[in-house]
Amino acid sequence: MQRRPYGPLAWLVDQVSAPAAWADTLRAMEVPGVEEIVPAESTVVVRCTSEHRDAVGQVLDLVVTADRPTATEPPLTIDVVYDGPDIGELASAAQVSIDDVVHLHATGTYEVAFCGFSPGFGYLRGIDRRLHVPRRATPRTSVPTGSIGVAAGYTCVYPSASPGGWYLIGHTTAVLWDAERNPPALLHPGRSVRFRRVAA
Amino acid sequence: MTAPPALRVVQAGFATTVQDRGRRGLTHLGVPTAGAVDRRTHDLMNRLVGNPPDAATIETMGALILEALRPLVIASSTDASRHTIAAGTRLRVDVPPGSVWAYLAVRGGIDVDPVLGSRSQDTLGGVGPAAIDVDSLVPVGPDPGTTLAVDHAPLRGSAEARVRVWDGPQHDWFIGGIQSLIRRPWRITSELSRVGVRLEAGEFDRSTRSQPQMQSIGLTPGAVQITPAGEPIVMLANHPTTGGYPVIAVVEPADLADVVQTRPGSLVQFRRA
Repeated sequence: MQRRPYGPLAWLVDQVSAPAAWADTLRAMEVPGVEEIVPAESTVVVRCTSEHRDAVGQVLDLVVTADRPTATEPPLTIDVVYDGPDIGELASAAQVSIDDVVHLHATGTYEVAFCGFSPGFGYLRGIDRRLHVPRRATPRTSVPTGSIGVAAGYTCVYPSASPGGWYLIGHTTAVLWDAERNPPALLHPGRSVRFRRVAA
Repeated sequence: MTAPPALRVVQAGFATTVQDRGRRGLTHLGVPTAGAVDRRTHDLMNRLVGNPPDAATIETMGALILEALRPLVIASSTDASRHTIAAGTRLRVDVPPGSVWAYLAVRGGIDVDPVLGSRSQDTLGGVGPAAIDVDSLVPVGPDPGTTLAVDHAPLRGSAEARVRVWDGPQHDWFIGGIQSLIRRPWRITSELSRVGVRLEAGEFDRSTRSQPQMQSIGLTPGAVQITPAGEPIVMLANHPTTGGYPVIAVVEPADLADVVQTRPGSLVQFRRA
């Protein structure tokens, strides 16, 4: 773990083995002056007030957490119709059959590594290595809400219509983001997720 | 409960939204902070009408025309002065010369329903109140009961913004670190929005030391990312919560409004904070 300056209002904590769990531990400490805690792939950015920045930095050096998050919630199951427009293209890129794509995707257990890109968008890690493919060469300008994507070693569910460069392999009717709901996001960093194949 | 409408939109103008100081504590769920892109002017206009700084204002790139439906106390960056206007008055909000964004504050604050703790329209993630459109009715909250002091406040503006920068977390990925950003002025391109401002491409030599593969990291307002094409992008209030380009520098928060208000084609000179 290494702490780097990130301007007068933030710190970047690098080389964190379980950023979601680390972020949860820090959040529970309710450190004065901490405004935002943003876990990502291997880092956590902590945004804070300028007057508390030095004190916050010293507290960050004391945060120690288990390598794996302690699962307190049961996994969330998301029903998927595997009818995405790119499922054949992904199968070709991964050199497996379309049935293999469905089977590999629907039998995995995933964890929200971090959120970003758009409200409620979670980067789900744990996808079978055979489905590790880069993003598509040309992103779509619009991906429909509820699309299931695969790229860059992650899988995702698009919470709202947005541009997107991931292979679309299916869709769900689950509502990933609803500002009127409490909590508004179905996914949060550290949440365990499974997908279940359902008929169209 | 939303207050009765006090303004009607006659002409929506460009990039017109309701903004406050932003949505807090949700960035780990992918929700941008959003809020006024030039917080300094937003705060100043609120102060002119006696509002607390977190009262919502209207942000616009200009050509906004509103009609008062009752007597109102207002201040806008058009002339940076306070006015009391009668019902039926038409009010035009434009950006002052040499700026990009203008604000209109109304005594009582723009009182649209807050969403997740903020009245800010998040233009990236779509969270928050509906867009300001022709014939939109804009509610204004109750009089804050404050005493009015200053009635005019000069706005800063300059042909070439001088902006302090700090080392970003990946400054050592580039030969010379932030020196490669400081050594010459940068022209602002027309690719600017509430999300960020793109500067024209320049020379950024990647350090020959082996670098780890860049992964997405949390962003912060003022983070200066360098794209593979060597274009610096300065992140503004509505930046995405995470980003995948190395952050060479971070703009001093007190100077960010100077970048925000620099017009396309004009220059920004960075210097070490």
